[in-house]
Amino acid sequence: MRRVLLLGSPNSGKSSLFNRLTGLSQRVANYPGITVDVATGKLLNLTDAELVDFPGTYSLQPISGEEAIAVDFLNQALSESDVCHVFCVADATRLEKCLHFILQVIRECGRHGKAVTVLANMADVIRDNQLIFDEAGLEEALGVPVISVSAREGTGFDQALAQVEAAPRAGGKPANRWQDTPDELLHGTAQQLAARFSPKGDVLINSQLSLDRFFLSTALGGVAFFFIMFLFFQSIFTWSAPVMDGVEALVTGLGEAVVPLIPNKVLADFVADALFGGVGAFLVFVPQIFVLTLVIGLMEDSGYLARAALICHRPLRLFGLTGKSFIPLLSGVACAIPAIYAARSVDSPRQRMMTYLAIPLMPCSARLPVYALLIAAFIPAETTLFGLVGWQGLALFAIYLFGMLTALVVTGLISKSSGGQVAEQPFVLELPPYRLPTARPILRNAWNRCRHFVTQAGKIILLVTMVVWFLGYFPNQGADLAQSWLGTLGHWVEPVFAPLGLDWRYGVAILTSFLAREVFVGTLGTIFGIEGSEDNMLPLVDQIQASGLPLGSGVALLVFFAVALQCVSTVAILAREGSTRLAISMLFSYLIFAYLLSLIVFQLFVLLT
Amino acid sequence: MNKTQTVTALWDLRSGETAWVTGFDAALSASYQGRMMEFGFQPGTRVQCQLTPGFGAPRVYAISNSVFSLDREIARSVYVSRVEPAEVGA
Repeated sequence: MRRVLLLGSPNSGKSSLFNRLTGLSQRVANYPGITVDVATGKLLNLTDAELVDFPGTYSLQPISGEEAIAVDFLNQALSESDVCHVFCVADATRLEKCLHFILQVIRECGRHGKAVTVLANMADVIRDNQLIFDEAGLEEALGVPVISVSAREGTGFDQALAQVEAAPRAGGKPANRWQDTPDELLHGTAQQLAARFSPKGDVLINSQLSLDRFFLSTALGGVAFFFIMFLFFQSIFTWSAPVMDGVEALVTGLGEAVVPLIPNKVLADFVADALFGGVGAFLVFVPQIFVLTLVIGLMEDSGYLARAALICHRPLRLFGLTGKSFIPLLSGVACAIPAIYAARSVDSPRQRMMTYLAIPLMPCSARLPVYALLIAAFIPAETTLFGLVGWQGLALFAIYLFGMLTALVVTGLISKSSGGQVAEQPFVLELPPYRLPTARPILRNAWNRCRHFVTQAGKIILLVTMVVWFLGYFPNQGADLAQSWLGTLGHWVEPVFAPLGLDWRYGVAILTSFLAREVFVGTLGTIFGIEGSEDNMLPLVDQIQASGLPLGSGVALLVFFAVALQCVSTVAILAREGSTRLAISMLFSYLIFAYLLSLIVFQLFVLLT
Repeated sequence: MNKTQTVTALWDLRSGETAWVTGFDAALSASYQGRMMEFGFQPGTRVQCQLTPGFGAPRVYAISNSVFSLDREIARSVYVSRVEPAEVGA
């Protein structure tokens, strides 16, 4: 199989092109440095060729960990014989920032005997704004093919693929004119080429400026930021509520229809308690994950996230972080794993370390089912301010805010105690143009996130609920949960959780949640399923309310889940990206911290009520 | 380019002011000097300060068709000379 490399600067539309050319759904975002790993896919119209999407980089002289990875991969890939062609993507509307990189790529391709084609993306923007882009002139000046393409409209691809077909299958491409040019000369050449070939006019800059005047203004920009963040958290509950109700009704209805048809009692109990009670309870929350990913995707694609990074830079500096930490931290609201990878874009190793410390405290989507369950159990589904603000959404906002503030306090204290005044790397961030988000890739990304969540977390949840059900059902066939093996185990650990006002059932659910947080919901669903009536499958929220869990314990549980690092995958990625020592220290420190905080919260409730 | 203007730091430009890039502070690391040049901050290039958000937040600069946000540290290391108002439209 031949391989074609896809390189480009951040914000050049490289990942959109990858998706168009392969029909795959590599994550796309309008923010510098979103591609932090290498993605591959078969080219749609060339079945014997594979396209390899490299992380975006501004230069082959890296200054961040993310760029270093891209450059290392590139050097390795260019030496491999199955690499037959290189596509170098440039934003034709902002050619001046891409030209130095293009020249570097052409030079390296020449040195390795690889054919290269420059794909000048955003042909649609050039056309719509009546800008002039001299494709033929640039091609002549560079000495390699230059093809105008539009990732948005899918134009120019046939010509691009024709270049791959025309290229030799394994090396043998004649050297190009740039292969011996030193980097210093490339700077000057890039400047001259930019002056000649960059589209003239300030239409794009002016359209961007009017929006930036609002979103970055000292007063209104801050208000807009908080308003957008507030809407973000409200939408997670309000937009997903009808679908969640539908999924819940479907799971309950299906359970009530299927279980009576199973003749074997043990099997029927297993299907009712473990499958519909455990896994079903977790599936109810998938629509919220969808909405969460969708809204983050909208913000990324619109170009607003880069502005948010700018707004947050100064405040984050006070806590040992940088504006560039904002994107990994917000990604952490969806999932800590891509967030840890995204932290590679933080140039300073020290600030990157602080970002690692903060990410597991961000309220990830795995916490959402736990938060949503506990909030629904204690907060009424009512609204205020003429129906505009829901109390449940407000409670979710508060617990998310708590997680974020905890992250800042932790990094701030550690930063101050370990010499916070050390000079940091400068903050330089490209502000991409504002764009109307494209629905298809955002919806597809949200769908893929849910699918990944269900298939990956679902496997763990199914396994854990099966084990929990087995231990809870035997040896007395579900007659008395307290006397089961699970009950015995639960009573051993109960003294640890009793100071938080939690009985052994919640203790067992917490223990299993160290595999993944959302397992808590599945475990509770299974436990209450075994305990409950066979004829009446109540939603888990109702069962929690009926279990007599005090409000103080509910809040203590929320606090515990906000702080503890209960995710095996996150610990593993932290060990890989940071160090094993860092991962283990964070696991135990956050566990002790979570326990102490929730203990204080519960005891305060006891004192005050 | 008007070379008679006093050289100042990019950070000192007010919102809406335009200047020519003249060079970099020697204290700025070579890697960042290189990166700034790759972004288009080459001596002789015209740069405009677009926005100066309050509270010391990074400022917004337009160079050619690209827009960058630079914090105080790096914007103080880029030297510019202001463009006379008569030159701005040129």
